[in-house]
Amino acid sequence: SSHAFCSFSCCSSLLPQRGPLRGSHWQSSVLTLRTSLPVRAQPKKKKKVDVRREQAQKDRMKKKLKKLEKAAPELIPIEDFITPLKYSDSNRVRSLPALSPEETERRVLLLKKWCLFKQKQDEAEKKAIQSLVESQQEALKELRLESEELYQAAIRRDEGLFPFQRDGPTYTPPLPGYDPPEGKCVDITKVYTQ
Amino acid sequence: AAAARRPWRLFGAMCLLRLPRITQPLEKEEEEMAALMGQIELEKSHYSDHEIRKLEEEERLKRRKESLYDDDDEATGKTVIMAQDLEEKWEQKFLRFKAAPRITDADKKNIRTSLNRKLDSNLMLLVKQKIGNQELWLLPQVEWQPGETLRSTAERAMATFLGDHIQAKILGNAPYGIYKYKFPRAIRTEDNVGAKVFFFKAFLQSSDFTQTEPKADYLWVTKNELGDYLKPEYLKKVNRFLLD
Repeated sequence: SSHAFCSFSCCSSLLPQRGPLRGSHWQSSVLTLRTSLPVRAQPKKKKKVDVRREQAQKDRMKKKLKKLEKAAPELIPIEDFITPLKYSDSNRVRSLPALSPEETERRVLLLKKWCLFKQKQDEAEKKAIQSLVESQQEALKELRLESEELYQAAIRRDEGLFPFQRDGPTYTPPLPGYDPPEGKCVDITKVYTQ
Repeated sequence: AAAARRPWRLFGAMCLLRLPRITQPLEKEEEEMAALMGQIELEKSHYSDHEIRKLEEEERLKRRKESLYDDDDEATGKTVIMAQDLEEKWEQKFLRFKAAPRITDADKKNIRTSLNRKLDSNLMLLVKQKIGNQELWLLPQVEWQPGETLRSTAERAMATFLGDHIQAKILGNAPYGIYKYKFPRAIRTEDNVGAKVFFFKAFLQSSDFTQTEPKADYLWVTKNELGDYLKPEYLKKVNRFLLD
Protein backbone atom coordinates (compact mmCIF):
# COMPACT_ATOMS: atom_id res chain seq x y z
CA SER A 1 0.00 0.00 0.00
CA SER A 2 2.90 2.59 0.80
CA HIS A 3 4.49 1.69 -2.48
CA ALA A 4 1.40 2.67 -4.33
CA PHE A 5 1.31 6.22 -2.64
CA CYS A 6 4.90 7.12 -3.62
CA SER A 7 4.35 6.39 -7.23
CA PHE A 8 1.27 8.57 -7.22
CA SER A 9 3.14 11.65 -5.82
CA CYS A 10 6.03 11.43 -8.23
CA CYS A 11 3.70 10.98 -11.08
CA SER A 12 1.93 14.24 -10.16
CA SER A 13 5.23 16.15 -10.04
CA LEU A 14 6.26 15.00 -13.47
CA LEU A 15 3.06 16.25 -15.01
CA PRO A 16 3.93 18.76 -17.78
CA GLN A 17 3.30 22.36 -16.75
CA ARG A 18 0.81 23.84 -19.07
CA GLY A 19 0.01 27.61 -18.93
CA PRO A 20 2.05 30.54 -17.64
CA LEU A 21 3.72 30.66 -14.24
CA ARG A 22 2.13 32.50 -11.40
CA GLY A 23 4.26 34.11 -8.70
CA SER A 24 1.67 33.42 -6.12
CA HIS A 25 -1.93 32.52 -6.12
CA TRP A 26 -2.77 36.11 -4.93
CA GLN A 27 -2.06 37.52 -8.39
CA SER A 28 -5.39 38.04 -10.06
CA SER A 29 -4.29 38.50 -13.66
CA VAL A 30 -1.55 36.67 -15.44
CA LEU A 31 -0.64 39.76 -17.46
CA THR A 32 0.64 41.64 -14.45
CA LEU A 33 3.38 39.16 -13.95
CA ARG A 34 6.13 40.53 -16.20
CA THR A 35 6.17 44.13 -15.03
CA SER A 36 6.56 43.63 -11.30
CA LEU A 37 9.40 41.15 -11.41
CA PRO A 38 12.98 42.63 -11.48
CA VAL A 39 13.76 42.40 -15.17
CA ARG A 40 17.17 43.18 -16.66
CA ALA A 41 15.70 44.20 -20.01
CA GLN A 42 16.73 46.84 -22.61
CA PRO A 43 14.78 49.99 -21.37
CA LYS A 44 16.62 50.04 -18.03
CA LYS A 45 20.07 50.00 -19.67
CA LYS A 46 19.16 53.07 -21.78
CA LYS A 47 18.23 55.08 -18.71
CA LYS A 48 21.56 54.51 -17.00
CA VAL A 49 23.62 55.35 -20.03
CA ASP A 50 21.56 58.46 -20.60
CA VAL A 51 22.02 59.61 -17.05
CA ARG A 52 25.76 59.00 -17.29
CA ARG A 53 25.99 60.82 -20.62
CA GLU A 54 24.04 63.80 -19.32
CA GLN A 55 26.22 63.99 -16.25
CA ALA A 56 29.35 63.95 -18.41
CA GLN A 57 27.95 66.74 -20.60
CA LYS A 58 27.09 68.87 -17.61
CA ASP A 59 30.59 68.45 -16.19
CA ARG A 60 32.17 69.48 -19.48
CA MET A 61 30.01 72.60 -19.65
CA LYS A 62 30.90 73.48 -16.06
CA LYS A 63 34.60 73.08 -16.79
CA LYS A 64 34.30 75.37 -19.81
CA LEU A 65 32.46 77.97 -17.73
CA LYS A 66 35.13 77.83 -15.04
CA LYS A 67 37.86 78.34 -17.61
CA LEU A 68 36.06 81.35 -19.03
CA GLU A 69 35.52 82.84 -15.60
CA LYS A 70 39.15 82.35 -14.61
CA ALA A 71 40.32 84.40 -17.58
CA ALA A 72 41.06 88.00 -16.43
CA PRO A 73 38.21 90.43 -17.21
CA GLU A 74 38.87 92.83 -20.07
CA LEU A 75 40.01 96.20 -18.80
CA ILE A 76 37.63 99.11 -19.36
CA PRO A 77 39.47 101.72 -21.46
CA ILE A 78 39.82 105.12 -19.78
CA GLU A 79 38.48 107.58 -22.33
CA ASP A 80 40.49 110.49 -20.92
CA PHE A 81 43.86 108.80 -21.50
CA ILE A 82 43.27 107.96 -25.16
CA THR A 83 43.69 111.00 -27.38
CA PRO A 84 41.54 110.64 -30.49
CA LEU A 85 43.64 110.44 -33.65
CA LYS A 86 42.16 113.55 -35.19
CA TYR A 87 43.99 115.72 -32.64
CA SER A 88 47.44 114.58 -33.73
CA ASP A 89 47.15 116.14 -37.19
CA SER A 90 49.96 118.47 -38.10
CA ASN A 91 47.60 121.31 -39.03
CA ARG A 92 46.52 121.41 -35.42
CA VAL A 93 49.86 122.62 -34.16
CA ARG A 94 49.70 126.25 -33.08
CA SER A 95 52.10 128.64 -34.74
CA LEU A 96 53.18 131.36 -32.34
CA PRO A 97 56.27 133.59 -32.35
CA ALA A 98 59.13 132.32 -30.20
CA LEU A 99 59.59 133.75 -26.69
CA SER A 100 62.03 136.62 -26.37
CA PRO A 101 64.70 136.45 -23.67
CA GLU A 102 63.05 139.36 -21.82
CA GLU A 103 59.85 137.40 -21.70
CA THR A 104 61.53 134.28 -20.30
CA GLU A 105 63.34 136.47 -17.75
CA ARG A 106 60.06 138.07 -16.67
CA ARG A 107 58.45 134.66 -16.34
CA VAL A 108 61.20 133.25 -14.19
CA LEU A 109 61.12 136.26 -11.86
CA LEU A 110 57.34 136.08 -11.60
CA LEU A 111 57.51 132.41 -10.65
CA LYS A 112 59.99 133.21 -7.89
CA LYS A 113 57.77 136.00 -6.56
CA TRP A 114 54.83 133.61 -6.61
CA CYS A 115 56.80 131.05 -4.64
CA LEU A 116 57.53 133.62 -1.92
CA PHE A 117 53.93 134.85 -1.87
CA LYS A 118 52.56 131.35 -1.44
CA GLN A 119 55.08 130.58 1.29
CA LYS A 120 54.03 133.67 3.26
CA GLN A 121 50.36 132.82 2.77
CA ASP A 122 50.91 129.26 3.98
CA GLU A 123 52.84 130.41 7.06
CA ALA A 124 50.11 132.88 7.98
CA GLU A 125 47.48 130.16 7.68
CA LYS A 126 49.46 127.79 9.86
CA LYS A 127 49.98 130.50 12.47
CA ALA A 128 46.27 131.28 12.56
CA ILE A 129 45.38 127.62 13.02
CA GLN A 130 48.00 127.28 15.76
CA SER A 131 46.59 130.27 17.61
CA LEU A 132 43.07 128.84 17.32
CA VAL A 133 44.16 125.51 18.76
CA GLU A 134 46.01 127.22 21.64
CA SER A 135 42.98 129.33 22.45
CA GLN A 136 40.79 126.24 22.55
CA GLN A 137 43.23 124.38 24.79
CA GLU A 138 43.32 127.30 27.22
CA ALA A 139 39.52 127.46 27.30
CA LEU A 140 39.27 123.74 28.02
CA LYS A 141 41.88 124.00 30.79
CA GLU A 142 39.95 126.78 32.51
CA LEU A 143 36.73 124.83 32.10
CA ARG A 144 38.30 121.82 33.75
CA LEU A 145 39.28 123.97 36.71
CA GLU A 146 35.67 125.05 36.98
CA SER A 147 33.77 121.80 36.75
CA GLU A 148 34.72 118.32 35.63
CA GLU A 149 31.18 117.55 34.47
CA LEU A 150 31.07 120.49 32.08
CA TYR A 151 34.52 119.60 30.83
CA GLN A 152 33.45 116.06 30.02
CA ALA A 153 30.40 117.39 28.20
CA ALA A 154 32.62 119.74 26.21
CA ILE A 155 35.15 117.15 25.03
CA ARG A 156 32.48 114.74 23.89
CA ARG A 157 32.37 114.22 20.12
CA ASP A 158 29.63 116.12 18.28
CA GLU A 159 27.87 113.52 16.13
CA GLY A 160 25.77 115.97 14.18
CA LEU A 161 28.73 117.97 12.90
CA PHE A 162 29.92 115.65 10.11
CA PRO A 163 29.12 115.16 7.25
CA PHE A 164 29.31 118.93 6.88
CA GLN A 165 28.12 120.43 3.61
CA ARG A 166 28.27 124.00 2.40
CA ASP A 167 28.02 125.74 -0.98
CA GLY A 168 31.18 127.65 -1.77
CA PRO A 169 31.36 131.35 -2.73
CA THR A 170 30.72 132.42 -6.34
CA TYR A 171 32.15 135.38 -8.25
CA THR A 172 28.95 137.45 -8.13
CA PRO A 173 26.10 137.17 -5.62
CA PRO A 174 22.89 135.47 -6.80
CA LEU A 175 20.65 137.72 -8.90
CA PRO A 176 17.21 137.99 -7.28
CA GLY A 177 14.46 136.90 -9.66
CA TYR A 178 16.81 135.45 -12.26
CA ASP A 179 15.16 132.94 -14.61
CA PRO A 180 17.78 130.58 -16.05
CA PRO A 181 17.15 129.58 -19.72
CA GLU A 182 15.54 126.20 -20.35
CA GLY A 183 17.72 123.49 -21.82
CA LYS A 184 18.04 119.74 -22.26
CA CYS A 185 21.12 117.73 -21.41
CA VAL A 186 21.73 114.51 -23.38
CA ASP A 187 24.24 112.18 -21.76
CA ILE A 188 26.36 110.43 -24.43
CA THR A 189 28.95 108.76 -22.17
CA LYS A 190 29.77 105.21 -23.27
CA VAL A 191 29.02 102.57 -20.66
CA TYR A 192 31.22 99.47 -20.60
CA THR A 193 30.30 96.16 -18.98
CA GLN A 194 32.92 93.68 -17.91
CA ALA B 1 34.61 117.78 52.71
CA ALA B 2 32.33 119.31 50.19
CA ALA B 3 33.84 120.58 46.96
CA ALA B 4 34.68 124.24 47.30
CA ARG B 5 32.37 126.32 45.18
CA ARG B 6 34.46 128.18 42.67
CA PRO B 7 33.87 131.91 42.90
CA TRP B 8 33.69 132.44 39.17
CA ARG B 9 30.40 133.02 37.38
CA LEU B 10 30.13 131.22 34.06
CA PHE B 11 28.82 132.75 30.86
CA GLY B 12 28.32 131.16 27.45
CA ALA B 13 28.80 133.43 24.42
CA MET B 14 28.13 132.71 20.77
CA CYS B 15 30.24 133.98 17.90
CA LEU B 16 27.85 133.74 14.97
CA LEU B 17 29.60 133.92 11.59
CA ARG B 18 27.95 134.74 8.29
CA LEU B 19 30.25 133.04 5.78
CA PRO B 20 31.32 134.86 2.60
CA ARG B 21 29.02 134.70 -0.43
CA ILE B 22 31.46 135.87 -3.11
CA THR B 23 35.15 135.23 -3.73
CA GLN B 24 37.74 137.66 -2.43
CA PRO B 25 39.44 139.84 -5.05
CA LEU B 26 42.80 138.54 -6.28
CA GLU B 27 46.05 140.02 -5.05
CA LYS B 28 48.44 141.54 -7.58
CA GLU B 29 50.74 138.48 -7.61
CA GLU B 30 47.76 136.19 -8.00
CA GLU B 31 46.48 138.14 -10.99
CA GLU B 32 49.87 138.16 -12.70
CA MET B 33 50.25 134.46 -12.07
CA ALA B 34 46.78 133.72 -13.43
CA ALA B 35 47.62 135.63 -16.63
CA LEU B 36 50.90 133.75 -17.00
CA MET B 37 49.23 130.39 -16.50
CA GLY B 38 46.66 131.23 -19.16
CA GLN B 39 49.39 132.21 -21.59
CA ILE B 40 51.41 129.03 -21.00
CA GLU B 41 48.27 126.94 -21.47
CA LEU B 42 47.58 128.67 -24.76
CA GLU B 43 51.15 128.09 -25.98
CA LYS B 44 51.07 124.40 -25.14
CA SER B 45 47.66 123.77 -26.70
CA HIS B 46 46.61 122.71 -30.19
CA TYR B 47 43.95 124.30 -32.33
CA SER B 48 40.38 123.42 -31.45
CA ASP B 49 37.67 122.58 -34.02
CA HIS B 50 36.25 126.07 -33.81
CA GLU B 51 39.63 127.69 -34.46
CA ILE B 52 40.36 125.37 -37.42
CA ARG B 53 36.99 126.33 -38.88
CA LYS B 54 37.79 130.01 -38.40
CA LEU B 55 41.20 129.66 -40.08
CA GLU B 56 39.77 127.80 -43.06
CA GLU B 57 37.04 130.38 -43.56
CA GLU B 58 39.57 133.19 -43.42
CA GLU B 59 41.61 131.42 -46.09
CA ARG B 60 38.56 130.98 -48.27
CA LEU B 61 37.57 134.64 -47.92
CA LYS B 62 41.10 135.74 -48.82
CA ARG B 63 41.14 133.50 -51.90
CA ARG B 64 37.73 134.76 -52.97
CA LYS B 65 38.84 138.36 -52.69
CA GLU B 66 42.07 137.79 -54.60
CA SER B 67 40.64 135.80 -57.50
CA LEU B 68 37.46 137.36 -58.81
CA TYR B 69 36.22 134.58 -61.08
CA ASP B 70 36.15 131.94 -58.36
CA ASP B 71 32.75 133.30 -57.41
CA ASP B 72 31.01 131.28 -60.11
CA ASP B 73 32.52 128.04 -58.87
CA GLU B 74 31.34 128.62 -55.30
CA ALA B 75 27.81 127.49 -54.62
CA THR B 76 25.78 130.69 -54.76
CA GLY B 77 22.51 131.22 -52.97
CA LYS B 78 23.74 129.30 -49.94
CA THR B 79 24.13 131.41 -46.82
CA VAL B 80 26.99 130.08 -44.74
CA ILE B 81 27.28 131.03 -41.08
CA MET B 82 30.86 132.01 -40.47
CA ALA B 83 32.61 131.24 -37.24
CA GLN B 84 33.31 134.96 -36.83
CA ASP B 85 29.56 135.70 -36.91
CA LEU B 86 28.94 133.11 -34.23
CA GLU B 87 31.57 134.67 -32.01
CA GLU B 88 30.04 138.10 -32.40
CA LYS B 89 26.61 136.73 -31.59
CA TRP B 90 27.94 135.12 -28.40
CA GLU B 91 29.70 138.34 -27.40
CA GLN B 92 26.48 140.32 -27.82
CA LYS B 93 24.54 137.84 -25.71
CA PHE B 94 27.15 138.04 -22.95
CA LEU B 95 27.09 141.83 -22.91
CA ARG B 96 23.33 141.83 -22.57
CA PHE B 97 23.53 139.86 -19.29
CA LYS B 98 23.92 141.99 -16.18
CA ALA B 99 25.18 140.15 -13.10
CA ALA B 100 24.39 141.26 -9.55
CA PRO B 101 26.95 143.78 -8.27
CA ARG B 102 29.70 142.59 -5.95
CA ILE B 103 29.59 145.83 -3.96
CA THR B 104 26.05 146.15 -2.69
CA ASP B 105 24.05 149.21 -1.65
CA ALA B 106 24.57 148.39 1.99
CA ASP B 107 28.32 148.51 1.36
CA LYS B 108 28.12 151.95 -0.15
CA LYS B 109 26.01 153.40 2.63
CA ASN B 110 27.90 151.41 5.31
CA ILE B 111 24.75 150.09 6.93
CA ARG B 112 26.31 147.90 9.56
CA THR B 113 23.09 146.20 10.64
CA SER B 114 22.54 144.65 7.21
CA LEU B 115 23.72 141.18 6.26
CA ASN B 116 24.20 142.18 2.62
CA ARG B 117 27.38 144.02 3.39
CA LYS B 118 30.94 142.85 2.69
CA LEU B 119 29.87 139.73 0.83
CA ASP B 120 33.45 138.53 0.46
CA SER B 121 34.33 138.27 4.17
CA ASN B 122 33.01 136.77 7.40
CA LEU B 123 30.50 138.86 9.36
CA MET B 124 30.10 138.49 13.12
CA LEU B 125 27.15 139.40 15.29
CA LEU B 126 27.70 141.98 18.04
CA VAL B 127 25.00 143.04 20.50
CA LYS B 128 24.84 145.81 23.04
CA GLN B 129 24.50 144.36 26.53
CA LYS B 130 24.40 145.82 30.01
CA ILE B 131 27.18 144.45 32.20
CA GLY B 132 27.13 145.84 35.71
CA ASN B 133 26.22 149.44 35.08
CA GLN B 134 27.88 149.74 31.64
CA GLU B 135 26.43 149.30 28.18
CA LEU B 136 28.98 147.37 26.16
CA TRP B 137 29.21 145.91 22.66
CA LEU B 138 29.79 142.19 23.10
CA LEU B 139 29.29 138.85 21.43
CA PRO B 140 25.85 137.69 22.63
CA GLN B 141 26.28 136.07 26.04
CA VAL B 142 24.03 134.68 28.73
CA GLU B 143 24.76 133.34 32.20
CA TRP B 144 25.15 129.60 32.62
CA GLN B 145 22.47 127.85 34.63
CA PRO B 146 23.16 124.59 36.48
CA GLY B 147 21.83 121.60 34.59
CA GLU B 148 22.79 122.60 31.08
CA THR B 149 26.00 122.25 29.11
CA LEU B 150 27.89 125.36 28.04
CA ARG B 151 26.97 124.73 24.42
CA SER B 152 23.28 124.96 25.23
CA THR B 153 24.01 128.18 27.13
CA ALA B 154 25.50 129.58 23.96
CA GLU B 155 22.49 128.40 21.94
CA ARG B 156 20.20 130.09 24.44
CA ALA B 157 22.23 133.29 24.08
CA MET B 158 21.73 133.15 20.30
CA ALA B 159 18.01 132.52 20.70
CA THR B 160 17.48 135.34 23.18
CA PHE B 161 18.89 137.89 20.79
CA LEU B 162 17.81 136.55 17.42
CA GLY B 163 14.76 134.42 18.11
CA ASP B 164 14.13 130.70 17.90
CA HIS B 165 14.03 130.41 14.12
CA ILE B 166 17.74 130.86 13.70
CA GLN B 167 19.48 128.03 11.88
CA ALA B 168 23.13 127.83 12.79
CA LYS B 169 25.65 125.02 12.68
CA ILE B 170 27.63 125.04 15.93
CA LEU B 171 31.13 123.73 15.42
CA GLY B 172 31.47 121.12 18.12
CA ASN B 173 30.85 120.87 21.85
CA ALA B 174 34.10 122.47 22.97
CA PRO B 175 34.57 126.19 23.60
CA TYR B 176 36.92 128.06 21.28
CA GLY B 177 38.13 130.76 23.62
CA ILE B 178 37.79 132.19 27.09
CA TYR B 179 37.71 135.68 28.53
CA LYS B 180 38.28 135.91 32.26
CA TYR B 181 37.70 139.11 34.21
CA LYS B 182 37.44 140.07 37.84
CA PHE B 183 34.63 142.25 39.06
CA PRO B 184 35.54 145.74 40.28
CA ARG B 185 36.38 145.83 43.98
CA ALA B 186 33.04 147.38 44.83
CA ILE B 187 31.04 144.27 43.90
CA ARG B 188 33.69 141.66 44.55
CA THR B 189 32.92 139.25 47.36
CA GLU B 190 34.35 135.95 48.57
CA ASP B 191 31.92 134.00 46.47
CA ASN B 192 31.82 136.25 43.47
CA VAL B 193 35.32 137.09 42.31
CA GLY B 194 34.67 137.45 38.64
CA ALA B 195 33.30 135.87 35.52
CA LYS B 196 34.54 133.52 32.83
CA VAL B 197 33.04 133.90 29.38
CA PHE B 198 33.38 130.84 27.14
CA PHE B 199 33.10 131.51 23.40
CA PHE B 200 31.49 129.11 20.94
CA LYS B 201 31.58 129.39 17.15
CA ALA B 202 28.70 128.79 14.76
CA PHE B 203 28.06 129.24 11.06
CA LEU B 204 24.86 131.05 10.11
CA GLN B 205 22.80 128.97 7.69
CA SER B 206 19.48 130.76 7.33
CA SER B 207 19.53 134.38 6.24
CA ASP B 208 15.87 135.02 6.85
CA PHE B 209 15.43 137.65 9.54
CA THR B 210 12.08 138.98 8.47
CA GLN B 211 10.25 136.90 11.05
CA THR B 212 12.05 138.00 14.18
CA GLU B 213 13.15 141.44 15.22
CA PRO B 214 16.35 141.37 17.23
CA LYS B 215 15.69 142.35 20.80
CA ALA B 216 18.58 144.74 21.30
CA ASP B 217 20.99 146.88 19.29
CA TYR B 218 22.95 144.62 17.00
CA LEU B 219 25.64 144.88 14.36
CA TRP B 220 27.22 142.60 11.80
CA VAL B 221 30.92 143.42 11.54
CA THR B 222 34.02 141.97 9.96
CA LYS B 223 37.16 141.02 11.88
CA ASN B 224 38.88 144.30 11.04
CA GLU B 225 35.97 146.36 12.29
CA LEU B 226 35.77 144.56 15.63
CA GLY B 227 38.37 146.95 17.01
CA ASP B 228 35.87 149.81 16.69
CA TYR B 229 33.51 148.23 19.18
CA LEU B 230 35.21 145.80 21.52
CA LYS B 231 37.39 146.53 24.52
CA PRO B 232 41.11 145.81 23.89
CA GLU B 233 41.50 142.85 26.28
CA TYR B 234 38.27 141.26 25.07
CA LEU B 235 39.27 141.88 21.46
CA LYS B 236 42.63 140.19 21.99
CA LYS B 237 40.98 137.01 23.25
CA VAL B 238 38.38 136.99 20.48
CA ASN B 239 40.91 137.56 17.71
CA ARG B 240 42.77 134.41 18.72
CA PHE B 241 40.07 132.10 17.50
CA LEU B 242 38.95 134.01 14.44
CA LEU B 243 40.42 132.89 11.12
CA ASP B 244 40.08 135.55 8.50
